[in-house]
Formats: sequence, C-alpha cells, structure tokens
Amino acid sequence: MERYQALEKIGEGTYATVYKGKNRSNGDAVALKEIRLDSEEGAPSTAIREISLMKELRHPNIVRLHDVIHTENKLTLVFEYMDQDLKKYMDQHGNRGALGHIVIKAFMYQLLKGVAFCHENRVLHRDLKPQNLLINRKGELKLGDFGLARAFGIPVNTFSNEVVTLWYRAPDVLLGSKTYSTSIDIWSAGCIMAEMYLGRPLFAGSNNQDELMKIFKVMGTPTEETWPGVSKLSEYRKDFPYYPPKPLSSVVPMIDTFGMDLLMQMLIYQPQRRITAKDALNHVYFNDIRGYANIQQQQQQQQQQQQQQAQMNGQMMPQQQQPPISTNSQQHVYQQQPQIPQQPPLPYQAVQMQQQQLLQQQQQQQQMQQQQAYSQQQQMHTMPQHH
Amino acid sequence: MHQNKLSLQNALLTLEQLQRTPSREDGITEEQEDDLRQFGCHLIQTAGILLKLPQVAMATAQILFQRFFYQASLRKFAIRDISIGSIFLAAKVEECPVRLTDLANVIDHLQKKFRRSPLDPLVPFGQEFYDLKNAVVIAEMQILKKLGFNVHVQLPYAIMVNYLKVLELTDHPTIPQRAWSFLNDGLRTSIYICYQPPTIACSVIWLAAREAEVPLPTNPAWWEVLDSNLEDIENIAGHIKSLYYKTLPIPDLPLTINEVEPYLQKQKSIALALADAESRTGKKKGQDGEEAEQAPVQGGDSGSVVPPKNTRVSRFS
Repeated sequence: MERYQALEKIGEGTYATVYKGKNRSNGDAVALKEIRLDSEEGAPSTAIREISLMKELRHPNIVRLHDVIHTENKLTLVFEYMDQDLKKYMDQHGNRGALGHIVIKAFMYQLLKGVAFCHENRVLHRDLKPQNLLINRKGELKLGDFGLARAFGIPVNTFSNEVVTLWYRAPDVLLGSKTYSTSIDIWSAGCIMAEMYLGRPLFAGSNNQDELMKIFKVMGTPTEETWPGVSKLSEYRKDFPYYPPKPLSSVVPMIDTFGMDLLMQMLIYQPQRRITAKDALNHVYFNDIRGYANIQQQQQQQQQQQQQQAQMNGQMMPQQQQPPISTNSQQHVYQQQPQIPQQPPLPYQAVQMQQQQLLQQQQQQQQMQQQQAYSQQQQMHTMPQHH
Repeated sequence: MHQNKLSLQNALLTLEQLQRTPSREDGITEEQEDDLRQFGCHLIQTAGILLKLPQVAMATAQILFQRFFYQASLRKFAIRDISIGSIFLAAKVEECPVRLTDLANVIDHLQKKFRRSPLDPLVPFGQEFYDLKNAVVIAEMQILKKLGFNVHVQLPYAIMVNYLKVLELTDHPTIPQRAWSFLNDGLRTSIYICYQPPTIACSVIWLAAREAEVPLPTNPAWWEVLDSNLEDIENIAGHIKSLYYKTLPIPDLPLTINEVEPYLQKQKSIALALADAESRTGKKKGQDGEEAEQAPVQGGDSGSVVPPKNTRVSRFS
C-alpha cells in the first residue's frame, strides 16, 4: 500500500470497506475499496465481476478503476474519488429530497450515457440505485459498484433473478423472469428519475410481493391484454388483486410533459417495448442538453487532438504492459495505463446558468409548442396501457 | 494474451505465445505439455460432472486453465491445484457457485481413483481436507492474478445451436449431439485460445456433417455465409480429431507439484531408451501413443441442404 495512503473511512458494506485515500505520487484523491478475502469463499464473486468488467469499461460516466492491489488477506481496488452518491446529494441539496428540473435532466442524461455505454459493450449493471450513482463537485455523475453486473451474450442463458435492490427491480424480474436483458437497467433508471423529482422512492416495497403491489397500484395490475405473456411468468398469480392504472402524472406531478413521456417509456411493463438507453438519450426531453453537450464534446475532441499531436511529436507511450510478476506479498494485479489528461469541463454552475438562460428565452415559445408537440408525441409513441 | 488491450471478447494467442509457452521455455516438451493440459481438462470435466455443474461452467473452467498455462509454467504450478481453482472460479463467474467442501471431496476422490488407491472418503476436518481447501483458494487468486482478472469467456455452444437451426440440421439424428461433443472435447486442445467462438461452431458442424456424410450447401459455401474460412475450419477439426488418436497415460501423469520432476525424469529416460533402441535396430519407429498424427481431413462435400424429416425439437436450446 505504499503507493496509496488511506485517510478516513467513508463507507462499509457487507464485504468491503471504503476509504478516502491519496495517491502518494501525485496527491490525487482516490477511493480505496478494501475487500476481505474469506478462507471459505475465496475471492468474492462480486469483486471478481466488478474488477473484470470495470477494467474494460472506460467512459466519462463510469467510475474509473485505477489499480488492484493484492495483499495477504485482502484485495484493494483503487477507484477515482467521487464526492458523494446521489442518495446523499438528494438529502443535502434537495428540497425535501427533490431536486431541481435542470439538475435532474443533467443527471439523467449522464446516467443514461453510462448505461448506454455498458449496454453497447454487452454488460448489464443490474444494480442501479441512487446509492450506486456517484457525483463529484463538477456535477458529473458516474455509475459505480459493478458488483452485480454481468456480461451477456446471446440471450439463451438464464440468469439469477436475485438482482437489483427491490425498489428498482423491474416487474418482469419480480415476476420470476430469468431471461431479462438491458431493459432491466432502464426500469431502474426510470425509478431513479421519478425519485429525483419526488424526493422519495417511487415504489418502496418491503418484500417481493409488496413491491409488485406498489407497482400495480400505480401502473395497474398487468393482464394478458396489457402485457402479453405475463401469465406465463413463474411468479404470476391469477388472483393478484386488480388495480386500475393511474395516470403517472398524478403520482409524479412535478415532471414537465417531455419528461413525463420519457419516464412512461422507461416504465413500460413489457420489457421488449421499454425504451433503450440510446433512444432515451435522443428523446426530446434532452434537446437542450444535447445541444450543449455536442458543443462541449467538439471542444474536448479538438483539445484531445491537439494533445495527441503534441504527444506524437514527443515520446511515444509504451502501449503494452505485462502485469509485473513478483514474489512480494504485494502485487499490483492490474495497473491502468496512464491516460491523456482531459481538460476539465466547465464548472457545473456555468452549465446551469447557460441552460437557465436558454430555458427562459425559450419558455414562452415552448409553452405554446408543448401542447401541440405532446399530443403528437402521444400519437407517435405507443403508450403503456395506463394512459 | 494482451493484458491491457482486452475487451470482453475472448483473448486469442499470438503465434509466438503459442510456440513459446512458459512450460516449453522451462524444458517441457510439446508432447508432454499437450498431455498435461489434456489431463488437467479431463480432471475439470470429470469433477464438474460429479459436482453436477452446468457444461458452461466446466467449459469456462477449462478455458481458464488453458489460458493460465500460457502465463505460467507447468513446472511451477500443480495441475490439480490450478484445475480445481479454475472450477471454483468458473462456477462463480457463471453464477453457479460450488462449496469448497464439495470441491475438496470430489478432488480427493478423483485423485485416489487416478492413482488406483483405495477409495476411502476424505476425513472431515482433517489436515488433508484443510490443505486441499487452502490450495483451492490460493490457486484461485493465482489464476486471477496471472490472467489480470480477464475471466470472462465467450462460449460457442449457443452460437452452434443457432447455426444448426440456420442449416436446418437440428433434427438430424447424430449431427447435433456429435457437434456438441466435439465442442466439449475441443476444450482439451488450444482451439479456444486460438479461434473465436463462431469459427469453432462452424468447425464442429463441418466435422459432424462430414462424419454423418450429410452434404451442406457449397455455392456459396455455408461457412462463408457464417463468416468463417475453410482453412480455420479444417485446422480446428484436425486439432479435435487428433484427440481420438491417443489415450492419456493417466496413472503416470503428475497431479501435484512434487510429482512433476519424477514424471519428467521418467519421460526423459524412456525417450533415451527409445532413441538407443532405434539407433541399434536402425529402424524408425514413432514413440508409442505419443505422436498425434494430423487428422485425416480432406475436402469434398458438395450438394445441397437435406430437408428436415421430422420436427423433433433440439435438446440444446
């Protein structure tokens, strides 16, 4: 552990303890996740999954795994440091937990970017919840804790259905489906979106059955008409109490019309009809953010190109690195290559200001257009039955 | 294996890595290495069956085992430890974890069986039991380290079943089962470290169809439609068939690290004696059961798809 110095403890989980730490060579803040190795279990499967997947997933909206260090009876994962998780952020910054519209939109956009990247790379996160979404001072949101994630191939395999914290678990999984896919993460994202507006969880069930009832009371009890094939799922019961669907806008009234449309598409019962992360990013709800993000991306690309050229002119980085094999009690099992430093994005406040101005300008026009656009939207998108 | 460039696709070896393995550098011959690798895979498959693991877990374990010994020498790591470590790890990766106690019991049973010693059960909570359990946990961490946590393995089973459907062969009485068995047996060769799953899937179907004398479309060639080429297919088929031309001398093969040196010594003296005998008789004679001949594979399947006769559903979907 000479390379990193542990400072204060910031969290304790069932199999790991997380410390804030410092990289001694450059003073950078890091998060050190210490995993105890059990002599009965060996390396925890959550740790194996987390390391094997996270070292491959490099994206601005996924927490970066810098290093893995093995000492005699523990494994230490070195992550980039993030200031807090979304749960704490909501408690501290929210109005009784609820966040402002612009912040929510910025967070949702980043969340879906991270999810889209995972899905493109055939990885399911399977445990999206506010506690696993990490936020830093720049207002960046990143997916963390890939302890339940898994790579998926052709959907022939059946997976464990003991995944995702209950409140964010998709109804098809609750009903016993084992052939779920990317849509499982989208349901969770939808629940998180609603929670950011509400300031409390959308469906806070206390057990499997209660969770289903909480969902049914809002979305309506599914039937063969509203969800073809539902009765074939192993946990489906004919005697489920019947609840009629409620308009989601009465449950989460503070969402604007575009946001409501996106939310409803994320919370569709039939998994295959739920919107994909990629399509969600192109939803009209994100129009204003997307315009800004594109400009920012172009700027960053230009900067990167300049940096790369500067680097090409200078020395070449070694491309290949074999893991150092030594007989020490400590080994750096996985060492990430040095990355080209990225220019920090504009401070989050500036983004907010810019967006607020933009919004104010457009507000009047939008209000006029929204009514029209929404009625068109409704025709364009196939809506879930509760409408 | 390119430690830092890997995606979730299977890592493939370069030709140099294939020819200059750590064991070869360590003075183990190619034939010996092949035997030892096959033995480890045999151990994994047999133990997996006793542990009632799904085939995907056994397949993943065998591929992890094979990968490991491209990063480490068979002289330094015991076959027994790395093969059970691979099972333990693969079972976690494939979400069907096994208990250490069960694993220790199974491996002890197999060890006694291979050594033809009496099949007394392992003393519960005895020293031997703890040593075995400990060895598994240590081996697991060794594998994770040497492979840099690249423990995701893509398997060709599902792809193969899909290809059978495309070729309308799922109802054939022998081809599906035989192709499936070739996939299982092929785990004992280097094909999974040298080719991606779709090519392997094509090859086993090609081989199974040849043996059943079922012609498949050649214009255009079906494997080209499935993005494979005949050279790779024939190469893989050759590797698989070579397995059936020899039997493993199981009782002689080393399980633990202490048994490796005596085994290599014995092999060396046998080789010397053979060379001596050869020079005396002047007659060229291959080492008995040592040399795996290239499988007799020739081209020559032409014709069109045979239409399905009945509508039995595939057992593998």
